[in-house]
Amino acid sequence: MTAIGTPFGAMSIRQLQAGLAAKEFSATEVAAASIERIERDDARMHAFLELTADMAADAAAKVDAALAAGSLADAGPLAGVPVGFKDNMNLLNTHTTCASNMLANYLSPYTATCVAYTLHAGALPLGKLNMDEFAFGSSTETSAFGPTLNPWDFERVPGGSSGGSAAAVAAGLVPVALGSDTGGSIRQPASFCGIVGVKPTYGVVSRYGVVAFGSSLDQVGPFARTVEDAALALNAISGFDEHDCTSQAADVDFTANLAEGVRGMRIGVVPAFMEAEGLTDEVRDRVAEAAQKLADLGAELVEIELPNAKAAMSAYYVLGPCEAFSNLARFDSVRYGYCDPGHADLGAQYEASRAKGFGPEARRRIMLGSYLLSAGVYDTYYYPAQQVRTLITQDYERAFQKVDCILTPVSPRTAFKFGEIGDPTQMYLSDMFTISINIAGNGGMSVPVGLGANTNLPVGVQLISPAFKDVNMFRAAAALESVYGPAPVAPQFAGTH
Amino acid sequence: MKKLEEILKTWEPVIGLEIHAELTTLNTKMFCGCKLEFGAAPNTHTCPVCLGLPGALPVPNRAAIESIVLAGLATNCDIEKHSMFYRKNYMYPDMAKNFQTTQGPIAFCMRGHLDLDVDGANADERYGLADLKPGESADNITRTEDGYVAHVGITRIHMEEDAGKMVHIGGGEGRIAGATHSLVDYNRAGTPLIELVTEPDLRTPEEARLFMQKLRQIYLAIGISDCSMEEGSLRCDGNVSLRRRGTTELGTKTELKNMNSFKNLHDGLLYEICRQAQVLEEGGIIYQETRHWDPTAKRTIVMRVKESADDYRLFPEPDLAPYDLSDEFIESVRAKLPELPDDKAARFQQEFGLSAYDARHLVEHRSTAQFFEACMSDAERELGSAAAKLAKPLANLAINDVSGWLNANPDAVLDESPLTPNRAVQLVQLVADGTISSKQGKEVFAAVIEEDADPKAIVEDRGMQQVSDTGAIEAVVDAVLAENPDKVEQYQGGKTGLIGFFVGQCMKRMQGKGNPQIINELLANKLDA
Repeated sequence: MTAIGTPFGAMSIRQLQAGLAAKEFSATEVAAASIERIERDDARMHAFLELTADMAADAAAKVDAALAAGSLADAGPLAGVPVGFKDNMNLLNTHTTCASNMLANYLSPYTATCVAYTLHAGALPLGKLNMDEFAFGSSTETSAFGPTLNPWDFERVPGGSSGGSAAAVAAGLVPVALGSDTGGSIRQPASFCGIVGVKPTYGVVSRYGVVAFGSSLDQVGPFARTVEDAALALNAISGFDEHDCTSQAADVDFTANLAEGVRGMRIGVVPAFMEAEGLTDEVRDRVAEAAQKLADLGAELVEIELPNAKAAMSAYYVLGPCEAFSNLARFDSVRYGYCDPGHADLGAQYEASRAKGFGPEARRRIMLGSYLLSAGVYDTYYYPAQQVRTLITQDYERAFQKVDCILTPVSPRTAFKFGEIGDPTQMYLSDMFTISINIAGNGGMSVPVGLGANTNLPVGVQLISPAFKDVNMFRAAAALESVYGPAPVAPQFAGTH
Repeated sequence: MKKLEEILKTWEPVIGLEIHAELTTLNTKMFCGCKLEFGAAPNTHTCPVCLGLPGALPVPNRAAIESIVLAGLATNCDIEKHSMFYRKNYMYPDMAKNFQTTQGPIAFCMRGHLDLDVDGANADERYGLADLKPGESADNITRTEDGYVAHVGITRIHMEEDAGKMVHIGGGEGRIAGATHSLVDYNRAGTPLIELVTEPDLRTPEEARLFMQKLRQIYLAIGISDCSMEEGSLRCDGNVSLRRRGTTELGTKTELKNMNSFKNLHDGLLYEICRQAQVLEEGGIIYQETRHWDPTAKRTIVMRVKESADDYRLFPEPDLAPYDLSDEFIESVRAKLPELPDDKAARFQQEFGLSAYDARHLVEHRSTAQFFEACMSDAERELGSAAAKLAKPLANLAINDVSGWLNANPDAVLDESPLTPNRAVQLVQLVADGTISSKQGKEVFAAVIEEDADPKAIVEDRGMQQVSDTGAIEAVVDAVLAENPDKVEQYQGGKTGLIGFFVGQCMKRMQGKGNPQIINELLANKLDA
């Protein structure tokens, strides 16, 4: 804790590193105090599933040694920054549970590339963060270990599936956390918790070591309270990885144009999205206001059409479950994971272990995928879904001939209450504005733009980039931040020391 | 059961093969960097990828793609420029991810063929061959002087990964029946595998055997696999059905497994044809099932009945990008294509005047073919055009003595053995010029390998030179005849079989070095005079 009383986790990367460089505190103090604070302040909120105090201390010792030897920069661009990882990311010798009973006792024998890159950059790993089971959900309610609470209002969900990551950052427990986004799982919880959440273009960050949900849709990205912190984190985790042949070499500095402003930038707005059924007035108003702010800063607003985006939801709920069905087939109780005892027959052991090891939403998606891929059904669903995918990708390509970035809502509404949405298909609508970006593969991010007029809860806007031009959305995000200010720590956590 | 010959009058067997080859000559697995090594301690060559651990992703082995393109070019396939990997979903403990990464409707190699030379006794199993004159064609065969050529279509060759190896404990002979538990070794999991599927163009077990043999020669020639049927790096499943002769509709097929040698492939198919004929003739039904060939009991037994087609829920593998092979790549692979066995055999016939039979057998093994060629160039260097007459004896040496020795010593490497091409040429020359007999040639062959010495030196050291001096031999012959007047009398009385006795006596006196031809001639002259 600093003289002014801000907890380390509530600082920005710049603030932390300035303090470290000035020897106001050591990385070891940062690690210890951060762990202590989580133990105290996360007890009810339940963002973390596992703490890695020893690893954090070891990483901190290295940062302190680099500092003592002369330069903090030698310890890496994220030197001394406490971070948390969504619990679908492998970190050697930690539990990687995917918030599922299936993997409750699974210990990682290796480390995911995005995690390794974060550690290589000098960050302090504090632990693993709660999520919807296997990332199936938009509320973190499907976690087998209990939900995470929204730090703004404990009666509400933090969003999902990366709800633990979003809540931890919004509560000021960590400046940066990593999440994964298959249909909106970074952007929607970032919106619900009032912070920045980035789903980069598919291929910017390696997926190696991140437990797969929908391989062609999954992408890893950072949560932070400032646009710059998110960009710094993305700098650290992005790049080609020889272990993931869908990753791309991206020699890009995501912080490069944050100060440029939006003058001359063409920002697309989608009238059809603003009239979408289910979009609440308070969210619509905030999004419209944000668009106007960008125009005020010199951006040109251009109305565009994404005519096939309405089919994104249907395509997603074909492609996602198909890939998930196959990706989750490996959890068969034989070599690791939950094994129901006492079965003499292999088939019976498979059935009972998977029936008991997976929660209802996981079982639902597995069965859905299994059906959709079966003989005779495949041609009716999977193939058209791939065709829709092509159409949506073309929609975006066409739109990006006219604009540099697109601005849309993230979620149709602010955070809802626990148990409020019981019907799975209603829950799926949470992702109506985010899904098409995973389908097309380009980048999208959520940026906080104040509170909703009715609920007084955070609202985010979504900025969408052309593929591998993620710097465009960062540029617009930085401009919005200059108007709205960096994301605040959720009020009930702002006073905690 | 009826004999095949009888069955063929009523029934036409239809056979198709599925042949898996592990790309054993590669260093690493299909989708990860784990080493490929047969016989390593269980589960020592594994990593998160081939163990299918959560979060692991495949990265394709480029060398494996080159290997399959090479295989396709060598078997007259079209190389598909655009193809992709698919996931074949099924649950079994030897498949860690519970899906196998394989290919979909379009494989790297499509629409190929091989032509089989079926001659001599091998042609006997083909029904109706006698109705054709040389040069005439029917179905997929063309009659030749001493047999026929069969044109066998190849549907496709696709790339996939091998599963781990299951070991069942407690049952009989490692079988799953009666086992108390099973172990899995994932060293083999992820081994690059190419699967060749033939059209149902084969009609006899012999054709199936020859196809497999020819494919093995090709794979060995292009160097993509060690093709060990014993160790399972080359595996063959056979699909067999019968239809009434004259009809075109296919009958219900059974799939035959465990045909892990050429003999088992032939015998398994033969048995299955006979079994199906008997069932059908007794009014029974052939069930679509997988059967196991038991070479000890000499019968096939049911492994699994397929009630309906398996639904593998095949879909494109999202972790691997579709392939886009360039013309440059395909041409660069084509440039690496070595001379194939058929071309080599044709060249041997033309260049060295060998018979088709000798040429075909010479090219059966790459090492003996290479050895033969090295011998011929050595001989030509020393003897010029006179080397031509050594071609036949050198071919015989390679086909008989060298192959025999290699078969008896599977670990031996011809290139590193004491039998250099130069020594082989010396050896056949010693026989050809009568210095030693062909029987002594065998002795010298063994001695060269054992003692690592030149044939000439061995012959000298052992004093093996044949005595061909007629005067010296005549003296011995006279002595032997003089010593055995009773036998001479018997011989001249009609017991001509005694000639062997006289030859033996002469040889004994000459310590085996007498030229047997001259001894025979002289004896015959004197006895018959």
